[in-house]
Amino acid sequence: MPKLTIDGKEIEVAPGTNLIEAARALDIEVPHYCYHPGLSVAGQCRLCMVDIEKAPRPTIACNTVATDGMVVWTQTERVLETRKSIMEFHLINHPLDCPVCDQAGECWLQIYYMKHGLYDPRMVDEKVHKPKAVPLGPHVILDAERCILCSRCVRFCDEVTATGELGIFDRGDRSEIGLFPGRELDNKYSGNVVDICPVGALTDRDFRFQVRVWYLDAAKSICPGCARGCNIEVHVNRRRPHHAQGRRVARLKPRFNAAVNKWWICDDGRYGFGFVDDGSRLRSPLQREGGQQLPVAWDEAIAGVAGALTAHPPAETGVIASPKMANEDLFALRRVLDRRGVTQVGFAVRPRVPGDEDKLLIRADKNPNTRGAELIGLGGDTAAILAAARARRIRCLWIFGHDLLDAGWPEAETRAALGAVETLIWSGTNANATSALARWVLPSAAWVERDGTFTNFEGRVQRFRAAVDQLGEALPDWEILGRVLTALGEPTLAARAEHWFRELGRSVPAFAGMTYQSIGDTGQMVGATREAARA
Amino acid sequence: MSLTAPLAFPPEQLAEVHRLQALYPDRRAALLPVLHMAQDAFGYISLEVEEYVAGLFDMTPAHVHEVVTFYTMFFQRPKGRHVVAICHNLSCHLAGAPRILTHLKERLGVEVGETTDDGRVTLLSVECLCACEHAPMMQVDDRYEFDLTPARVDRILEGLR
Ligand code: SF4
Ligand code: SF4
Ligand code: FES
Repeated sequence: MPKLTIDGKEIEVAPGTNLIEAARALDIEVPHYCYHPGLSVAGQCRLCMVDIEKAPRPTIACNTVATDGMVVWTQTERVLETRKSIMEFHLINHPLDCPVCDQAGECWLQIYYMKHGLYDPRMVDEKVHKPKAVPLGPHVILDAERCILCSRCVRFCDEVTATGELGIFDRGDRSEIGLFPGRELDNKYSGNVVDICPVGALTDRDFRFQVRVWYLDAAKSICPGCARGCNIEVHVNRRRPHHAQGRRVARLKPRFNAAVNKWWICDDGRYGFGFVDDGSRLRSPLQREGGQQLPVAWDEAIAGVAGALTAHPPAETGVIASPKMANEDLFALRRVLDRRGVTQVGFAVRPRVPGDEDKLLIRADKNPNTRGAELIGLGGDTAAILAAARARRIRCLWIFGHDLLDAGWPEAETRAALGAVETLIWSGTNANATSALARWVLPSAAWVERDGTFTNFEGRVQRFRAAVDQLGEALPDWEILGRVLTALGEPTLAARAEHWFRELGRSVPAFAGMTYQSIGDTGQMVGATREAARA
Repeated sequence: MSLTAPLAFPPEQLAEVHRLQALYPDRRAALLPVLHMAQDAFGYISLEVEEYVAGLFDMTPAHVHEVVTFYTMFFQRPKGRHVVAICHNLSCHLAGAPRILTHLKERLGVEVGETTDDGRVTLLSVECLCACEHAPMMQVDDRYEFDLTPARVDRILEGLR
């Protein structure tokens, strides 16, 4: 392994490591635009110059591999002067429209200019003007004047999605990023080009003009969009709600996880949070009175549900859990089922259209916690439960989240099943055609409103954290189920999601020994602790 | 040459494309000569031609468009039967190129970048063509024309049919 010295500090790095990464390992930042660890090296922006002893002139760090005995300086006068010149060069035709640019506050032109700017511009000529506010596709909009032609977006489309939509057309100071005339940037991962664009050239149409980025708060989370469980950050607007008509979730951004999603997320996941602030959200428990569902207090609803579970013998009771529920919820549900001896439980509902899948991230299973639901032992035959309901053998049915009337089963049969049930209980975040039929409706907190864990298809248990308050009176499912359990005579002390997870670790072998601490920010494989203990 | 020709190379030219592609470690290196062939065969490089050529190289049309827009010798619009390109760089400028250009515009009745109504000549003004010793000079199709005077230009234009 090559050992080199950077700014007087020694470090050993893996063979093939370039100087930007070697410096990063020492917490030394080499300013750069075009280099991205997930893409090929282009050497395009020239900002990453460093001095290497015995080299006659500054050299780009991104395209220089660390070698044994190399002595590198990142702060020499010559390097600083070079950075200043490169910054001046990048800004020659830049429109300086920061006041109306979404990138402002997280723009690498701004960030590096603070440190390496000339501050006394020499440009006297008219700037070259280019197209502004050009929609490239459903999610991305281009301002060609702000582009520094780093080619990251081009390389992303070439190397990651292999769709090759973007190019750099024309030449010299008229060069600009664009699409082949008549085409769109509409691949399944297009939003990522906004993340990797270091400046405000590519911005997000959904996020556009919603809120200034410095008003955002962030929470570490997991995408609930499919079984991959991509690591994300949830960016929320709590401080300026009036800037976005009360919309709380501003955007989702990928969070690096080498073992799961690297730097990327898909567009379905990125823009899949609309339901959180949608008008269909359930804000309080409901009870059906005649033809109408009317709001009731939680105490009443809990008593009603516990009463129904007690009144109906277990053989007459069925539960359709959801693989969108967190491990904590599913385990609390497990407890409720065990308390009453209910055995007719399943969670899998055939989707109306089969999910799409690809080789990069997207999984056909659009549920974040199928594996968790299986491991917690809730994987029974859902279709059989519905058939039993239709045959009036199941009289009390509790459904979590699903809209069974919008599933891959004949709607009339499902409707017959739901109509035949005496007590229909429905838990979930947003009202739908199935919830509209329920006697009791219990409003669940959305994933961004609470803590929890999902187990992805590979068996990686990953944490998501509350980013905003619960809407109205909605509660996390684990809390609702805990209250039901208490009403059934088994008082629970679990006051936080974490307590339920600890219980889960004690009861289900796959989760043995796991804690929120051991899962950390990057997740932990089920069974890992057991194997470690055995070894 | 004709714009109505079907948008595909005949078999002999396709064979030439494959021969060129095989010459390089990365076959995309043959893109430039193939684009020149396409320009000769189809008259100019339309978006349709770009898509056709992209298909020959398993590239996306965006990347062919990058190359076509970078090089000035590719025409993205129909051009005249002849292309007259006068050098406007330093040596020619000092030796009287502006006067020659004005003369060309008057004689042809077009501005730089335009084509005569009869489709005979496209007029261009270009950077140095490496013949300063014969300034002012211009390129007419594949020929260089040296030491230009208005009278010489008239004779040259008369020869273009
Ligand atoms: S649009 Fe952004 S990512 Fe693409 S080349 Fe320009 S600056 Fe780079
Ligand atoms: S691949 Fe799946 S988990 Fe990842 S962002 Fe897309 S929907 Fe979410
Ligand atoms: S990061 Fe090295 S040249 Fe751009």
